[in-house]
Amino acid sequence: MKGLKKILVFICILATTFTSINAQNYTLPEYTNFKLNNGLTVYLMEQHDVPLISVSAIIPAGAIYDGDKSGLAQLTAAALKHGTQNYSKAKIDETLDFIGASVNASASKEFAGLSSKFAAKDKSNVMTIIKELLIHPIFDENEFSKEKSRLLTELERQKESPSSVIRTYFDELLYGEHVYSNSLTGTIATVEKITIDDVKNFYTNNYIPNNAAISIVGDFNSNEMKKIVTTLFSSWEKGNSSSTNLVSKPIKKPTSEKVLLINKEDAKETTFYIGAPGVARNNKDIVAIQVVNTLFGGRFTSMLNAELRTNSGLTYGARSHFTNYKNGGAFYISTFTANKTTEQTIDLTLEVLNRLHTNGLDEKLLTSAKNYVKGQFPPRYETIGQLSYFLTEMFWYNFDESFINDFEKNVDGLTLEKAKKIIGTYFPKDKYQFVLIGKASEIEKIANKYGTVKRFNIKD
Amino acid sequence: MKKIMTLLFLFSSIISYAQMKAEDVKTFTLENGMKFLVVEDFSIPNANMYLFYKVGSRNEYQGITGLSHFFEHMMFNGAKKYGPKVFDQVMEFNGGANNAYTTQDLTVYTNWFPASSAEIIFDLEGDRISSLSIDPKMVESERGVVLSERRTGLENSPWRNIIESVNASAFKEHPYHWSVIGYEDDMKNWTQKDLELYFKMYYAPNNCVVVVSGAMKFERVKALAKKYLGSIPAQAAPPKIHIKEPKQTGERRITVQKDVANPYLVIGYHTPEAKHEDFYALSILNSILSSGQSSRLYSSLVDKKQLSTAVFTSYRENFDPTLFYFYTSANKDVNEVDIENAIYEELDKIKVNGITEKELQKIKNQKLMEFYGQIETINGKSNNLGTYELFFGDYKKMFEAPENFNKISIEDVQKVAKKYFKKSNRTVGVLKTNVED
Repeated sequence: MKGLKKILVFICILATTFTSINAQNYTLPEYTNFKLNNGLTVYLMEQHDVPLISVSAIIPAGAIYDGDKSGLAQLTAAALKHGTQNYSKAKIDETLDFIGASVNASASKEFAGLSSKFAAKDKSNVMTIIKELLIHPIFDENEFSKEKSRLLTELERQKESPSSVIRTYFDELLYGEHVYSNSLTGTIATVEKITIDDVKNFYTNNYIPNNAAISIVGDFNSNEMKKIVTTLFSSWEKGNSSSTNLVSKPIKKPTSEKVLLINKEDAKETTFYIGAPGVARNNKDIVAIQVVNTLFGGRFTSMLNAELRTNSGLTYGARSHFTNYKNGGAFYISTFTANKTTEQTIDLTLEVLNRLHTNGLDEKLLTSAKNYVKGQFPPRYETIGQLSYFLTEMFWYNFDESFINDFEKNVDGLTLEKAKKIIGTYFPKDKYQFVLIGKASEIEKIANKYGTVKRFNIKD
Repeated sequence: MKKIMTLLFLFSSIISYAQMKAEDVKTFTLENGMKFLVVEDFSIPNANMYLFYKVGSRNEYQGITGLSHFFEHMMFNGAKKYGPKVFDQVMEFNGGANNAYTTQDLTVYTNWFPASSAEIIFDLEGDRISSLSIDPKMVESERGVVLSERRTGLENSPWRNIIESVNASAFKEHPYHWSVIGYEDDMKNWTQKDLELYFKMYYAPNNCVVVVSGAMKFERVKALAKKYLGSIPAQAAPPKIHIKEPKQTGERRITVQKDVANPYLVIGYHTPEAKHEDFYALSILNSILSSGQSSRLYSSLVDKKQLSTAVFTSYRENFDPTLFYFYTSANKDVNEVDIENAIYEELDKIKVNGITEKELQKIKNQKLMEFYGQIETINGKSNNLGTYELFFGDYKKMFEAPENFNKISIEDVQKVAKKYFKKSNRTVGVLKTNVED
């Protein structure tokens, strides 16, 4: 479907030996935005290719507000669908299922999100349900206790899968006292203590329109949709945003190498992260960082994957990532290998990272990475769901459509010299933070090589 | 592509699909038998190329299990013009990305690229299909990769373990008996010769269907196909899979020990292949049982009785008769026998009382939304057209699917429930910690 308007531009790069792929400049399709009296920001983008509508909402109600009740944001988001003043849970489920519509609510680290997709003809029906969920949830006690009990069972089950839990361990290790260390899912100990009143309070304190946005993309008339949204959401009462800005507190940087060793007695492989502090989403170099990370560990032929998978067969895959929040973020390498090749694989990983700093990049590699990120960019904004989410992200992280409109220009502007600076500034050289999940009796000695070890059991 | 807006009438039996019609798919077949389906779609400046080879774990035998999947990996490890590692380097340099997957029936290669790079993609494909070189050094490092793939799958999901056991019990003779990834000992012992024979037997242009969707004109696709793939010789058709799974005549039960917090339960009923007349009714039954929180099994097992934390069912396209699966994970302190009985109770209700008109309409509405989802992206278009062409024998069946679903009546659904959900036709698998009680 028509995700992006396309203007073909042919750029000849005569200055370099390596040709850039024909650049295709895209612009974000037109949209309008406005604020309701209660402060709710609304984005509307018409897309008439298919008779569907996608809605995304973003609310400042993420896990960073959990306090000592880790898991609360997630449970609150889930509980929005437990019934409202005018709709029982059963009625919500039956109505949505009958028309093949989806409405999902969940929390992430910084915010809670709602996403929905439905046929255009069902817009008043579904928009009303979305309004009910966001403004008039009743938090039924019986439904809550069922949800909580399922979550507790799932938390126990997650420990059977290292890849499901490793991120939580890593965030705790990296962010320490900062709220970014808060676990999204919570732990059995914290979730057990959460009550229905906690959920109600969390909702009252954090589900407020003045710091929230809703975006609607798809087959509708903007004037008509504006009326619908204004009628439905104006009654959402303005709230007081919390007085302390939790995320603005500084994130303490690690001062030495640390290793979290998580024992999983029946492990046949070691799953590990190696990481360090990263950058915030609004970092001015975000596109350049993405390009460099692409060739370090972001694609199949990346330095990491080439060395650890293609050349040595040590793992099925190795990747590096930057996760970005409002006030900080993380860099980490993720991979896994058989118990007996653990040491070899970690050493090789560190060697590849070291090579990035000592050998740097060459013109051909950089051109390749630039072509790759440009070539793979348009499908990221192909669907109405992708576009509506992008609009809420723009709101949340305070950037604008120039991210899309200037993307190619920013990619093309990355020179070897600048790439070198990016590596030196943003890719870690030391004080690595390790999380190793595996059979401790076989890998504990190895763990000691890399830093001060703290050992836990995955079942703890 | 021309897009016409049509309003949907919920209860009308004729539903028009606005944005894509069978006529929008153009086809041609090269002289060597390689068939192409092409969808012109200029909504983004990208295109894709999906190559469906009719080879999967179904074509293996014990001793070379897992070879189809391993071969999928080896297709990226060097050919005549583009040597080891070069395939991916060239593709990525030109802004393209790729992946591949292997199933019981198929091996599918997927390329996603800016349309301006199309020619190099055809060249890369032509090179590896015509003259793959199987480098023994690459075979060894890639063997490590697939062993890691197998290990990490088992390490992170108990489902894989129990599903493999259910398949191995339900299929005693047919090659669906083993998993796509293969037996560990076979994986360690595939030989150079096995790979060479496999390439010769299955990687022929006449054993492949190609789908291209995106910002490319039909004529351009055709010209590139002729230039880069047209001269690859056709080969004799691969041997037919003659094994038919004998009728199951009694319930089979299998238990697997693994250290887990709460049990996992998988049940499989023998059901027919995609081309069978019961396919659509069974597919609707699948949705009735587990699609959405208002579905039969979710509302009974998870919501009302709180026996399970999650429940899914699946019934997918296969070349040969397959299984209709039930998957569920137990809630805390629940005996898996109670979950099993609760599933049978729900199946009995459908067998005895049937489903309601409203339920049937709900699923038909959901199928329509699913259809939109499937063709929302150029990748969805290619993947689904290929799926219908391969499993139903004609890509046009994709456009007829909504109508075929609409024809299904309450009685049809009840009939297939009675026909297939029999005790003697099922295999029940339980994975849990304590298997001695």
